[in-house]
Amino acid sequence: MSGPVAISAKGRGKSHALEITDVSKKFSVAGRQVQALSHIHLAVDEGEFVSIVGSSGCGKSTLLRLVLGLDTDYDGDIRVDGHRVERPGLDRSIVFQEHRLLPWLNVEANVAAALRQSGLSAAERGELVRDHLHLVGLDQFAKAHPAQLSGGMAQRVAIARALVTKPRFLLLDEPLGALDALTRLRLQDELQRIVRHEGTTAVLVTHDVDEAVYLGDRIVIMHPHPGRIATVLPVTAAVSRDRSDPNFIRLRDEVLSWLGVSRTGNDAGAELARRSA
Amino acid sequence: MGAGQATALSGHGDSTAGAAPTHRRIFPAAGALALGLVVPLGLLTAWTVAALLGQLPEQILPPPWIVFDTLLEGIQDGSLLSSTVTSLKRVAEGFAAGALVGLVFGTAVGLSKTLREFVDPLFLALSQVPTLGWMPIVILIVGIDEGLKIIVIGWSAFIPVVLNTSQGVRDVPEAYVELGRVLSFSRWSKLTMIVLPSAIPSIFTGLREGLANGWQTLVAVELIASFEGLGYLMAYGRQLFQLELVLSAMIVVGLIGLAFHGLLTLTENHLQRWRPETPR
Ligand SMILES: Nc1ncnc2c1ncn2[C@@H]1O[C@H](COP(=O)(O)OP(=O)(O)O)[C@@H](O)[C@H]1O
Ligand SMILES: [Mg+2]
Repeated sequence: MSGPVAISAKGRGKSHALEITDVSKKFSVAGRQVQALSHIHLAVDEGEFVSIVGSSGCGKSTLLRLVLGLDTDYDGDIRVDGHRVERPGLDRSIVFQEHRLLPWLNVEANVAAALRQSGLSAAERGELVRDHLHLVGLDQFAKAHPAQLSGGMAQRVAIARALVTKPRFLLLDEPLGALDALTRLRLQDELQRIVRHEGTTAVLVTHDVDEAVYLGDRIVIMHPHPGRIATVLPVTAAVSRDRSDPNFIRLRDEVLSWLGVSRTGNDAGAELARRSA
Repeated sequence: MGAGQATALSGHGDSTAGAAPTHRRIFPAAGALALGLVVPLGLLTAWTVAALLGQLPEQILPPPWIVFDTLLEGIQDGSLLSSTVTSLKRVAEGFAAGALVGLVFGTAVGLSKTLREFVDPLFLALSQVPTLGWMPIVILIVGIDEGLKIIVIGWSAFIPVVLNTSQGVRDVPEAYVELGRVLSFSRWSKLTMIVLPSAIPSIFTGLREGLANGWQTLVAVELIASFEGLGYLMAYGRQLFQLELVLSAMIVVGLIGLAFHGLLTLTENHLQRWRPETPR
């Protein structure tokens, strides 16, 4: 692939694809100030998959909203390729926890809605929509309405809608949080395959530690009150993408202890891993 | 014979199963219609019995068969038909104008907080004045011709359409508005893909109220300033103590109103056909 060559040729060696510098965000609720984010620093490289974990209320969704450009009232700096984010744009897509499909449009039209401002011809748009419905395995459901879909299917449509614009950044805000465990495991694999296939840079917010370790190249751990980054753990090559691998379990336990959750002592696999280490 | 057919039918298990969904779809509608007929038929029966027993003085409430005869006569000699056509035309024109302007104005007011702050107090005050209260002023300005009827009917339809449309537009879920921003929608896309589809139920509530208002105003305005139409027929019948004429005009007004209402509901259901079937 010519990817890395192209990047160095453009001289993008130093500046990161996404750079969050000293970002703080306050809300005032009923006259009281709530510090949602405090001095956030995070740089994400092209093609990277970053997982963010943290208890609820620690500002994860707020951070994604700022990156999207939905809210520009904050301190600090958020830059994409060195340009400050001023407003939402088709280079940044999001999948919310709820699918947010428009109920009056069918699956196809929901995905196509993301291309309305793309300037592409109707034929090009149709092809992109078909490709992406195929990518999430829903070719058969193009004409169905959201009310006829299961939660997992609806979320796959939302993923297709987020990717159909070929965004540079895919932001995922607990996208699988509302799904049952089996569907979630299946969609994690699907998400991984799709993001690799499209070469998208991804930021995934989740409260499922397994998911964070399984999908992320790095894991950002956040603490609440005020929302801040506690640490960033790399997912090294030694950690295979096998949920029962000792290295996987060790990293998962490390994340859990950063989150203030005691290690899973009764987990035989974890015990074994620790003894053999 | 009948029993034989029944066994033959129940023998075909497959075909019965295949027909079942259709039955279920048709029966609720038919059932609702049947239930809706219970009270009117009961009243009609009571009315008939009371008339047969001579309990009702004809000057107060003529017996149903006389009303029915009057209805038939009016249809045959064309007098009822031409009144109906005149009134229908007035309501259609007034309602169309009022609803159309109301939709545009209501959407604009719903979308723009500034516009809302400008017009809300005045509009609320004006809408409190009964339509008939406007009549003397409108007569002074446009006279007593067709223009008067269209304006007054239009105004009475306009008010609920504006109120409901602007409410519906304001109630668009924030999550969808945000989605529109994430997808970089233009104003037009936002309006057609998000705001209007989401406001459909409110808009149709407004249209239904507007239509009912339109009919009521029609009758009132024809009582005062007309020499034809269903409202005029009622006023005329009352003056001549021909209550069967009044009643037959009332029946026509009621039936047409019901038909319009049904038409609006059908349109709304068609626009909202994406809705999941709700358990009854
Ligand atoms: N629009 C808002 N107005 C006021 N407070 C908000 C708003 N959005 C978020 N907050 C507050 O900011 C904090 C972080 O919220 P959020 O980013 O949703 O957390 P998370 O996604 O990590 O659960 C919470 O305390 C929340 O109450
Ligand atoms: Mg959140």
